Amino acid sequence: MAILINKQTKIITQGISGKAGRFHTEQCLLYGSNFVGGVTPGKGGQEILGLPVFDTVYEAKKQTGCDATVIFVPPPFAADAILEAEDAQIPLIICITEGIPVLDMVEVNRIMKLSKKSRLIGPNCPGVITPDECKIGIMPGYIHKKGKVGIVSRSGTLTYEAVWQTTALGLGQSTCVGIGGDPLNGTNFIDVLRLFQDDPETEAILMIGEIGGTAEEEAAAWIQSECTKPVAAFVAGFTAPPGRRMGHAGAIISGGKGTAKDKMQALREAKVVVAESPAEMGTKMIEAIKKFDR
Amino acid sequence: MNLHEYQAKEILESFGVPVPPFGVAGTTSEIQKIIRDLNLSEGVVKIQVHAGGRGKAGGVKFARTADEIFSVAEHLIGMKMINNQTGPQGVIAKKVLISKPVDIQKEYYLGAVIDREQARPILIASSEGGMEIEEIALKTPEKILKLPIELTGEIKHFRLVRLANFMGWQGKQAQEGMKIAQKIANAFIKNDASLLEINPLVLDKQGDLWALDAKLSVDENALFRQPFIASCYDPSQQSKSEVDAKEFDLAYVALNGNIGCMVNGAGLAMATMDLIYHYGGRPANFLDVGGGASKEKVAAGFKIILEDTQVKAVLVNIFGGIMNCATIAEGIIEAAKEFSIQVPLIVRLEGTNVEMGKRLLKESKLAILTAESLAEAAQKAVSVLKS
Repeated sequence: MAILINKQTKIITQGISGKAGRFHTEQCLLYGSNFVGGVTPGKGGQEILGLPVFDTVYEAKKQTGCDATVIFVPPPFAADAILEAEDAQIPLIICITEGIPVLDMVEVNRIMKLSKKSRLIGPNCPGVITPDECKIGIMPGYIHKKGKVGIVSRSGTLTYEAVWQTTALGLGQSTCVGIGGDPLNGTNFIDVLRLFQDDPETEAILMIGEIGGTAEEEAAAWIQSECTKPVAAFVAGFTAPPGRRMGHAGAIISGGKGTAKDKMQALREAKVVVAESPAEMGTKMIEAIKKFDR
Repeated sequence: MNLHEYQAKEILESFGVPVPPFGVAGTTSEIQKIIRDLNLSEGVVKIQVHAGGRGKAGGVKFARTADEIFSVAEHLIGMKMINNQTGPQGVIAKKVLISKPVDIQKEYYLGAVIDREQARPILIASSEGGMEIEEIALKTPEKILKLPIELTGEIKHFRLVRLANFMGWQGKQAQEGMKIAQKIANAFIKNDASLLEINPLVLDKQGDLWALDAKLSVDENALFRQPFIASCYDPSQQSKSEVDAKEFDLAYVALNGNIGCMVNGAGLAMATMDLIYHYGGRPANFLDVGGGASKEKVAAGFKIILEDTQVKAVLVNIFGGIMNCATIAEGIIEAAKEFSIQVPLIVRLEGTNVEMGKRLLKESKLAILTAESLAEAAQKAVSVLKS
């Protein structure tokens, strides 16, 4: 089962002719993902990596019947690419691009909220992977193993650490979802937690948060009232100084809000097992499974 | 990206917001010109730095004669301000803003920001100006009004009327105040601002409104489409390391410790910092080389870290997704060749092309401590300093 994507998912790449688009589409194809085409305005009719290229997402959807799109379009045009995919009613839109202007995302968010058919994941995210079935994004496939932990994270490479640890400990992953490091994103923790809650293959959940905003606190409240599976979490940035942006546009402690300490506290109150160190994300997941009595 | 008060005021003026006449001086002749041009017999002199708390630090002075304006301004140019906002290294005021003073009757707060939870731009207003808005929000939230700003820059008229009522404006003031709020909202959207704050917006004894202070921060992701804003960049307000990092498009934050860090990915970089503290060490910096970094970027990052004389060990933690471990290895080797590394170097690589990366490092014959796991890497970095 897993969530969002599986072996059957038909995927296109927007920005397929660019360096990143081409490289990662190839890596995903090698993993076994079912890509059916790509989009680059002006290159319609060509073939890249054996896939047909279209001028528009609308055309690509019409010809291929795709269910998902991954966006590797540069920041000045990425919001437009997301809106194009929504307009073409692609059910799953995964935007990898980092650096989209905030005001562009305000508009995108507004449209995605009203969208009846489409869900956006990201931007500024590594993508989504259901191990041994489908990889849509930039994560290294080989570290993953099919299993029972659903992972949802704001980070990219920190997620790979968590995957590495849970694979080594024999737990494996059902699906890993990177929601991205921007302050405004299409899918937040609660949205993914809900999907994991309803997925029979996911037996436990690992959440990776970071400083900035209140997404983790909101997730904690949802976990407390709705979640019936064991949850473990790590929040990065406990030692980050306030007022400084730590890489991710969304990772900033301002006005005293968004500290790692507050997030960890809120999660603990929701009976989430919180790792103090990123080296023990895997072991804390095991602890959460053992201690579980929700 | 932060802008100076004088730059923010220039922009506000261009959007029609009333700002008391002012000039900016970095030299004594510029001071004299301003006194002449504005015909000043008294004035307010304010240091121009990218930090708050200028008044408390003695960086804002009222002068009662033209001569006093001159001596105060001359004295304040070059002033180094150190407070909890600037960090221990402080910031230097290269320029001062000299302004006609205003006879203040009342102070208000008017600002625009992106409300993260609601995912939209909002105007924030308070009839308690001149104070910390965050404190007011905490203690007396009913004294704050938040109004949505449309993506076009417009504030709906009925909301402007609400604002006027809330602020206690009537008649001419209400008309002026509503216009100013509209112009601030417009300036916020058109400049891709993340923060535009007028604190205080003052009502003078003649019944006119003025923006007495202005703070403008612009979304860095939008600089590609804001060329004028981008040209306002002032490297003098940042440390050399931060300026160098920006040149190579590296995310870098200077900290106080002695273990330099180079990591790919902001989350992992923060987690690596957390882990160093966990094992009793202190990171010297946050540095995210990002995905797809070139050999040159990696070498540049390395150079910035090594230029920090406080750095006594360097920890490289790379989990390659977009980042290719072989590229990182080549960058380290290139940096090591350019300037012989005197401090211990701990490298932990994992991910795309890891075997090639590890092999390149081994074949380079550089004195590198390798680690397999994140924990091992942090532990080694901390313990190598204790020995």
